[in-house]
Amino acid sequence: MKIKSLDPRVTRSNIDEDTQEGILNPLDHFETYEVFEQRKRGIHHVHVGSVHAPSAEMAVVFAKEQYTRRGQCVNLWVVKTSDVFVTEYEDSDIFETTVNKKYREPDAYKVIDRINAFKERNAKQNA
Amino acid sequence: MEFTEKHVMGLKDLLYKMADDLLILGHRNSEWTGLGPILEEDIAFSSMAQDKMGQSLALYEILHELGESDPDTVAFTRNDHQFHCSQLVELPIGEYDFSLVRHFFYDHADAIRFDMLADTVVEPLQMVAKKFRGEIKYHTMHANTWLKQLAQGSEEARLRMQSAINETFPFALGMFEPSEYEAELIEAGIFQGEEALKNQWLETVVPLLESYGYTVPDASTVTPIFGGRKGVHTEYLQPLLDEMTEVFRIDPAAEW
Amino acid sequence: MYGNAYIENNGKELNSLTANEDPIKLAEFEARIAAGEKIEPHDWMPAEYRKQLVRMIEQHAHSEIIGALPEGTWITRAPGFRRKMALMAKVQDETGHGQLLYNAAETLGKSREDMTNDLITGKSKYSNVFNYPAKTWADSAVIAWLIDAGAIVNQLANSKGSYGPYCRALERICAEESFHLKYGHDNVVFLATGTPKQREMVQDALNRWWEPIMHFFGPSDKMSVHTETLMKWKVKMASNDDMRQTFLDMYVPKIWDLGLTLPDPNLRKNDETGKWEYTEPNWEVFKQVINGNGPCNKERLAVRRKAEENGRWVRQALLNKNAKYVAPLS
Repeated sequence: MKIKSLDPRVTRSNIDEDTQEGILNPLDHFETYEVFEQRKRGIHHVHVGSVHAPSAEMAVVFAKEQYTRRGQCVNLWVVKTSDVFVTEYEDSDIFETTVNKKYREPDAYKVIDRINAFKERNAKQNA
Repeated sequence: MEFTEKHVMGLKDLLYKMADDLLILGHRNSEWTGLGPILEEDIAFSSMAQDKMGQSLALYEILHELGESDPDTVAFTRNDHQFHCSQLVELPIGEYDFSLVRHFFYDHADAIRFDMLADTVVEPLQMVAKKFRGEIKYHTMHANTWLKQLAQGSEEARLRMQSAINETFPFALGMFEPSEYEAELIEAGIFQGEEALKNQWLETVVPLLESYGYTVPDASTVTPIFGGRKGVHTEYLQPLLDEMTEVFRIDPAAEW
Repeated sequence: MYGNAYIENNGKELNSLTANEDPIKLAEFEARIAAGEKIEPHDWMPAEYRKQLVRMIEQHAHSEIIGALPEGTWITRAPGFRRKMALMAKVQDETGHGQLLYNAAETLGKSREDMTNDLITGKSKYSNVFNYPAKTWADSAVIAWLIDAGAIVNQLANSKGSYGPYCRALERICAEESFHLKYGHDNVVFLATGTPKQREMVQDALNRWWEPIMHFFGPSDKMSVHTETLMKWKVKMASNDDMRQTFLDMYVPKIWDLGLTLPDPNLRKNDETGKWEYTEPNWEVFKQVINGNGPCNKERLAVRRKAEENGRWVRQALLNKNAKYVAPLS
């Protein structure tokens, strides 16, 4: 029996109520691309999500509407998900900064006390 | 130059056909919303339908300033013979091949028309033409990407697209049906005219389609399907309008 | 738009389902959640956590896709430019939400194709409320306001859950839903304050949708399956009854403000307990509809089947023979 719907679009589509069609095969919806947007010039691109697409060009066309239809954007990058090399969360301890790496941080360099003491000493000598 | 009554009539005619094209095609394309071939494309196609709706509204607003009724009244209370849209845009959405080919043909014409109007002497129209440039650029980019990709795809797709191109072409040429006011529009610097538009359009779409591997019928041997600009429409427009205005007509004086 | 996941337990205690998990990893996993940290796609997780999350996110995605249909019913008939463009944008958003959510579920290892197949063969569920028809324009207004309002209550709670990709998708979704809610409210207000005919339309729609709305958050907690573990894992974030109460608290006064009535003579707020009292919705009907016997179940699935079938040649044409599927990153 054909569906007679409240939605005129559906009625027009002449759909069999018991249709068994539509089953998808693997990859029917393509592979995925990761999407990076740049909200304005001068700042980094930021990862915002992914799209399923058959090519990079198509991924851009899709990403533009899925991810920037409301927001501001000046530039998009898409990259095949399978081309992204990622670290494992299991290994996230490699990012831990231990105390002895303090020399890499700006706050390891506090010389103001030393300068002040030096000035004081000089002042006394000259007095 | 000082506008005569004929110039104003010509301008209104131009605005009506542009706005009606956009309204009817935007409406048609919105029929795909929620039912598209892939989620991502569903979203993109819907955005473009909304853009068309917004562009038509902007043009009806200019008409309103020129003394015509407000946009809702104009859009939701006229009958088919009062519409100036081309027959191309009123045809049912069919399958995705036809919808894409219509999108390709229409949006290239739209892009060139708006480009030309960026120099019109009619200031509000000039502003509208400039405002929507980015939107329209995306529309042609979207259409080009799809037509190119499908040409490189399966044999079935290439054949489907080729036959959609062949069948749609006479309707597409119908978009350039000259108005009674071509000379006035051109002399006043309002618009460069349908003939110039058609030529630029052919110079754009034919090489593009050929570069994707399609063949394009020879425009000089094809009879364009005219009528739309003069209120002569296919059997599809009135039912479309009946459907579009079903709720509005419950009480046209009500605020919805 | 989404109500609440229909949790399946087959009568088993969830705790017994973690019996085979490595106790040390399980303890670390639970400690991470207790500390308010998010779980990310490649983290170790109990099989049951993965299973319930896939089920929940997938149902949510299906609800967005199917949810586009009842409102889509009116997309070609919206009255006036303002409504026409807004409804197009709203239905579009629902499809967009489906896309985001399928991606989130994919990170847990189920492909979009598998999820779609499970939807169109009726194997997996979606929010029951979309199995009801949108009979008039006013129904689309009531859906946009109140169903989206309900969805926001649920989604805001879930956005504080433990699974990173789901939370990120929900953040984006909630921001968009606030437009839906405003649009829906605006639409209902115009009808309720309009002509007698418009008022009658919106009152009728409200009467029709009240029971489905009360069903929306799922059965009463008293009748619910064991959800303690899921709450601890921050998969389920709020109880069905709590969400229903929040919704009633926020929206019943707004409905009454418009001089509209709700078809439940027992609906009132008990000032002493601070809780809303109402006639218990008929959960037999709810079960019937979930199991495929609602007024629109068949149509909804048939429409999706047809949409997939119509798109087949398009997708086949674009298929890249060398494509290699990996789950999206996050």
